Amino acid sequence: MGFGFTVGVFGVLILSHAAYSTIQYRGLLKIMEEEFSGPPLTVFGELVVGLILCMWAALTVPGKFLSIHPDSEENRIVSLPENLDFMIFNHRGRVFPSQVDLKLNH
Amino acid sequence: MVTKIEEAELSRLESQVDNGGGGAWDFLCLVRKLKVRRSDKVLKHGLSILNDPKKRSALGPDEWTLYEQVAIAAMDCQSTEVAKDCIKILQKRFPDSKRVGRLEGLFLEAKGSLSEAETAYTSFLEESPFDQVVQKRKIAIAKAGGKIIKAIELINKYLETFMADHDAWRELAEIYVSLQMYKQAAFCYEELILSQPMNPLYHLTYADVLYTIGGLENLQMAKKYYASTIKLTGGKNQRALFGVCLCTSAIAQLSKGRNKEDKDGTDLQSLAATSLEKDYKQRAPDKLQLLTCALKSLRVSS
Repeated sequence: MGFGFTVGVFGVLILSHAAYSTIQYRGLLKIMEEEFSGPPLTVFGELVVGLILCMWAALTVPGKFLSIHPDSEENRIVSLPENLDFMIFNHRGRVFPSQVDLKLNH
Repeated sequence: MVTKIEEAELSRLESQVDNGGGGAWDFLCLVRKLKVRRSDKVLKHGLSILNDPKKRSALGPDEWTLYEQVAIAAMDCQSTEVAKDCIKILQKRFPDSKRVGRLEGLFLEAKGSLSEAETAYTSFLEESPFDQVVQKRKIAIAKAGGKIIKAIELINKYLETFMADHDAWRELAEIYVSLQMYKQAAFCYEELILSQPMNPLYHLTYADVLYTIGGLENLQMAKKYYASTIKLTGGKNQRALFGVCLCTSAIAQLSKGRNKEDKDGTDLQSLAATSLEKDYKQRAPDKLQLLTCALKSLRVSS
């Protein structure tokens, strides 16, 4: 968690640095009176690295992926809950009380 | 809903607690969450927590939930003394609580004095006429007293007000099935499928009911619902696989000579059969013989 989070922060820092460099580069171009056709190669590389780092962090930090398939082990329903709201006491427990010795002592 | 993983977790905790490995509180929490009825174990392990002052005070406010849980479990096991003590403690702590009042009603029911319980519930309902739990208890009293027709009437009246309560629909369906009123039960299961379309067990029971009613159309419908159960469970529900086989052979028998047999029906049956055979080979190889015999007899009759 800590490691992934640091990587994510690092990725965001790289991205913002790329943005800053692009702005600076455009300012430079304006002084030199040249046309802006695209960011320089270094900034482009920075963008790719930042994207990969951020993506990796976003996929690992929030936790594991959960299955959405209804037939996966986590989602497959094997039994319904007992309908406890309609529970009735007509069963063999009435005739054979199992734990007579138990007591609440306090 | 109890999923496969939760079921495994429950049985693991249960055996751990039974062998004295600790984790009683986790077990009790899981029982409460999954709403399973393990009254004898809840009573035993819950009491062992409640009787230990150190463990009890470690629970904090959850202590009162545990008292309630143990009280209900004690009623289910007919340990009236324990139930009475628990209710007394809760009453001391929450003097005007309705929840404790309901617990007292339940206690009267457990002792077998149904009419007293019913008068208690009726007076509750005068104060708050839309208390769902109390209304359900009245239905349960009618059922416990053997007045099934009255219970059906009460549930129907209840469902007019609370149409989205699927527990009540399920109860009504089960009562109808117990009375062999399958058409009405099928209607209830349709409601249940509508409210929880991703629950394979409702599809399965609906298919069972349709298969029981019989007739060509119902059988075809039942086959479809067995197939949807297979889809939702990924083929891990043996009952649905057997259902498909049975439906196909029953349909073939009914429509014999009337029209040419549709091919995908037999395809489905052979697929289900192979899946069953594979499963049996893996998990119960000694019963494989029985299975192949049964499947063969189905195919011969078709």
